[in-house]
Amino acid sequence: MALVLHDYELSADAYKARLLVSILGLDCVKVPVDVFPGRETDGAAFRAVNPRGTVPVLVDGDIVIRSPEAILAHLAARHDPSGRWLPRDAAGYAATLDWLAFAAHDLKAADEARLEEMLGLPPTVADPLGGTRRAYRILDDHLVRQSFDGLPFLVGDTPTVADIACFPAVVLSIEFGCALEEYPKLRSWTRRIRALPGFVAMPGVPEFL
Amino acid sequence: MAKTTDRAALDTWYVVGRPEDITAAAGTYRTRLLGQDLEVRPVDGGYIVREADAGGPSGDPLPVRIAYGHVWSTLGTPARDLFPIDEFAETDRRVATCGAVRVRASGLRLVENFLDMAHFPFVHTDILGAEEQPEVPKYDCEIRRDVDEVWATNCTFWQPQAAAHAEGGQMTDYTYRVATPFNVLLYKTCPSDQARMDVIALFIQPVEEDLSLAYAVVNVVDPVSTHTGIIHFQQMIFLQDRIILENQRPRLLPLSPRAETPTRADMSSIAFRRWLKEKGLRYGVFEKNEPIPSAA
Repeated sequence: MALVLHDYELSADAYKARLLVSILGLDCVKVPVDVFPGRETDGAAFRAVNPRGTVPVLVDGDIVIRSPEAILAHLAARHDPSGRWLPRDAAGYAATLDWLAFAAHDLKAADEARLEEMLGLPPTVADPLGGTRRAYRILDDHLVRQSFDGLPFLVGDTPTVADIACFPAVVLSIEFGCALEEYPKLRSWTRRIRALPGFVAMPGVPEFL
Repeated sequence: MAKTTDRAALDTWYVVGRPEDITAAAGTYRTRLLGQDLEVRPVDGGYIVREADAGGPSGDPLPVRIAYGHVWSTLGTPARDLFPIDEFAETDRRVATCGAVRVRASGLRLVENFLDMAHFPFVHTDILGAEEQPEVPKYDCEIRRDVDEVWATNCTFWQPQAAAHAEGGQMTDYTYRVATPFNVLLYKTCPSDQARMDVIALFIQPVEEDLSLAYAVVNVVDPVSTHTGIIHFQQMIFLQDRIILENQRPRLLPLSPRAETPTRADMSSIAFRRWLKEKGLRYGVFEKNEPIPSAA
């Protein structure tokens, strides 16, 4: 049975799900949600699907998942026969979950900076641009250390759901005027993700970075 | 920045918001036009728009029109009423407004991008254009003196996916129309009924000279797509344009013929810039102090 993704083309969180669905080559029916300007996510029909009023929502048979990082982990656990996207060795598993949490918490600032700059939506965190730069610095420093060990991705030598979860907040930086010049390892990392088989872009993802 | 003194910018109509966003429930609606803060208040059957400052609204209510899915006003005294768009009277059409998108660029840059077909294959790849077919066939362009508008006609372009419900590519006929310096429309072949034209408009609210709110509105003959599908198609197109627009330098539009190098495909842009010069418009224009050199 095909997956169902409640989706919004301009949502960076929904893009995480679309990207992994495409890379894994999964059948997925997309249900577009009029998030902006229609605020369909505030309506009763959508709240019945997701009381939090956020996209994406993934429906996989009887399973309904409502946060983007959990969607990624679920897709990898259930639909990736290679097992590489969600490592099962103790260290790899722990690091992957750690970076998923980083994507959900620290990189939230980037999403808020983008939505404020693009659509005028008021941010819920203080100083979203400053928070974004701090998160970028942490990611860039980590990728520098990884490169000393010859590891091109956040967790190891192959990409995991952690890379997918962190990618949109970084690659869409141009949309809110946050240049990546100060983060050279972040830029080369985005190019490696772009080169993955099955990669798809979204509006705002620059052709060259 | 304070309210502009540019008469050419003041004496014309602008969108100041969408009815859906200006409701009693949502509270006082504040926005900004040409460097001037505005307050928009919903009242029975209409809206009251007034200039505002930190102390609240001041001065007389400004003129208001409700049209084409948006609320319009002006800070000056326009010579004409709001421009007509006849298709909005046709009852079998579907209208979708796409909300306000902020762009850090002169509104005039947005109009020029809207007029440009040459970028379709590279910015809207496999949607509004294909990289294998980048040629912009020759078209006609004129300043229509009777209505004081710029029109580009007989435009054609090969499009892999011309609209939300298009199945397969088509040679699309386009007509472009600049109704005011900050309001632009296009008419394009409807994929499901080749005898009719879809209308797409971009209404720009110049907040500051280099900061714009862009309101896209789609008026189409489309029996297939969902309302959300129509909005998302147009939002996707405009967000692809947005990163290009924000990275153009200067952010304001140069009118000097030597500032940027046009090609034959830029005929509509040349006419647009000439028309702006004739109007003496300076708001959102790059050259400020010296007279704008004319073409040799």
